[in-house]
Amino acid sequence: MGKERFFGGNGPLAEAVLPSELKSAAGADQLPRSSLNLGWDQPMQHDAHAYLESDISSLVLSPSFNAPTGNDGVVVRELIGRLGSICKSRDITPTSRCQVARTSCSPPMLNLTVTDDQQQGVPGQGNEMAASQLAPFAGDPGLGETAARFCCFGLRNHVGIGAQLGIAEAGKLSRVSSSQSLMAANNGKGVTKSDSTMEMSRFGGRISCSSSPGASSVSDSLAATGAESNARKRKAAPKGKGKISPLSSPNMNPPNEENSGTKKCKLREDQKNTAKPTSEQNSNGSRKLGEDAKPLEPLKDYIHVRARRGQATDSHSLAERVRREKISERMKFLQNLVPGCRKVTGKAVMLDEIINYVQSLQRQVEFLSMKLATLNSQLEFDMETLLPKDMHHAHVPFPHQLYELGMASSAFFFFLLCQQPAQTDSNLLEMSLRWPSSLQVPHLDGFTDATSQFVNFGEDDLRQYVVQMGFGESQATEPSSQLLYAE
Amino acid sequence: MIASPSSSFSAGGSKKAITKPGFTDQAESKWRTAAQQRIYGRRLIDALRATAPSGPHAVKEASDSALALTARGQSRWSRAILLGRRRPSCKLLLKARRGRRRPKPPPPALKQGMAASPEGKKVSDRLRLLGRLVPGCRKLSAPSLLEEAVDYMAALEMQVKTMRALAEALSAASLNAAEPGS
Repeated sequence: MGKERFFGGNGPLAEAVLPSELKSAAGADQLPRSSLNLGWDQPMQHDAHAYLESDISSLVLSPSFNAPTGNDGVVVRELIGRLGSICKSRDITPTSRCQVARTSCSPPMLNLTVTDDQQQGVPGQGNEMAASQLAPFAGDPGLGETAARFCCFGLRNHVGIGAQLGIAEAGKLSRVSSSQSLMAANNGKGVTKSDSTMEMSRFGGRISCSSSPGASSVSDSLAATGAESNARKRKAAPKGKGKISPLSSPNMNPPNEENSGTKKCKLREDQKNTAKPTSEQNSNGSRKLGEDAKPLEPLKDYIHVRARRGQATDSHSLAERVRREKISERMKFLQNLVPGCRKVTGKAVMLDEIINYVQSLQRQVEFLSMKLATLNSQLEFDMETLLPKDMHHAHVPFPHQLYELGMASSAFFFFLLCQQPAQTDSNLLEMSLRWPSSLQVPHLDGFTDATSQFVNFGEDDLRQYVVQMGFGESQATEPSSQLLYAE
Repeated sequence: MIASPSSSFSAGGSKKAITKPGFTDQAESKWRTAAQQRIYGRRLIDALRATAPSGPHAVKEASDSALALTARGQSRWSRAILLGRRRPSCKLLLKARRGRRRPKPPPPALKQGMAASPEGKKVSDRLRLLGRLVPGCRKLSAPSLLEEAVDYMAALEMQVKTMRALAEALSAASLNAAEPGS
């Protein structure tokens, strides 16, 4: 096909050759020339369906791409998303590069070089179609500019999502050329479009992320500039707030009056729940001014507070709402902590339950401490004090020591051991093996007797302890941490 | 063989869960780790051995101090417990003096500021009660009081668990020692 010939040729020459090729191709593949020469939207749409059979076609020209302004972001995002999928499936880098090149208003030669550089390695008609489609656009600088402008607009809204989608799978793009084109675009754009170019540069930089090392620096710089611009936007918000607070304290009344009027419009923006930084800035600023009565509160709180629809917006109620939210958040957490209080609603009842629970816990602690005290008096403390020390320091024969020191000390040892999940396997095995069977049996009996006396024993703890004591021999490998402290 | 458990003991002791204060979920996770239980258990045993001759109240105080130590001073209640234990007489005197000077300080306005009057009174009463329950949190604002309560509850649960296990072990041991008739 003529297209193939064209794409096999050199990049710079392709520009001249392309239109003719395209014309030939257009006839064969339903590529309306008029569409190519016109603006971005309708011809693109037409092209999309008619002309590219593969996913790339849909990617390049999405059907929803009607209006230049509103759907730009949507289209671009779609394109980028599909770009990613396509690149995954086919490793079609040139298409993505075509996209990138198209977004920039660089001279067509760059675009074509971009498309051509990696055309050879990529099979499929779609690429050729895309490239051929791109050429006429590239040939028209005015079109390129408008296209770039639209893309910028769309990109600004969706570049974060789209860029990541598209670039992650972009694979090999000629980063140098794309980044160069973007640089040119940035230079040519001017201050008014600095944001868009920054976004685009970020887009381009991201596209280049997986590229050759030669272009990585360029892409990094672009990405950095993009990131900087975003960071600048974010920083402006808190800086504005910081500036406003000292200013507001000397001039409380006039700014309040002004802002009470502006607050409403700004808060209306909030109510639309736009995530844009500008609205965030405005709302934050208004909120900050409103709450200058409490300048000591951390700035962080202001970011999260939003005057919801239908709620009072004066400073006191806002501050109260912040406090109320804090308290309710903690109450929710307490609800999760206290057993059986999930369905309880209302602060008073919840607090009642919390107080009851804390009191019961404290009573349990008292009871257990009394029990421990009685147990302490009964047992031989000399041995018990000895045993842990021996464990820490000396290497004493394990079973021998047990027999000598008695069950109390061994119980202590056991208790301490049980708290070490890492060591339980070997220790349990040793202990169980060394203990005589005579000791084992009364162990169980004694234990069950003991348990009958004390009502407060948790069922789980009890069962697990019995299991541990009884089956120490047979199931020595079971870690005791599971048994005693099931978590 | 014995050396390994001892080394593991020391290793377990050195392992401490360090968390930042101020967040409720961190408090909960901090108290429920096995490491904390081991630390507390060991401290508890040491304290018990130290206070063997005294009565049950000493045991309770010792266990509470051990718990507060395990909290490593990150929470208000733990600091209050430790300070209270260190100078019990001075603390009592201070309280008495304070009581004479200011017979009844008015309840903090914070607790009542945010709620409506009929329910607000109940809530504020209960908050005050909770403040009295949690050591060292009598005159605390509602959100911080609730945070302290969360931490304190988690710590209490751990304390109860550990003490119960220890009591079980000890009781079983004592009964078995008694049974063979040795």
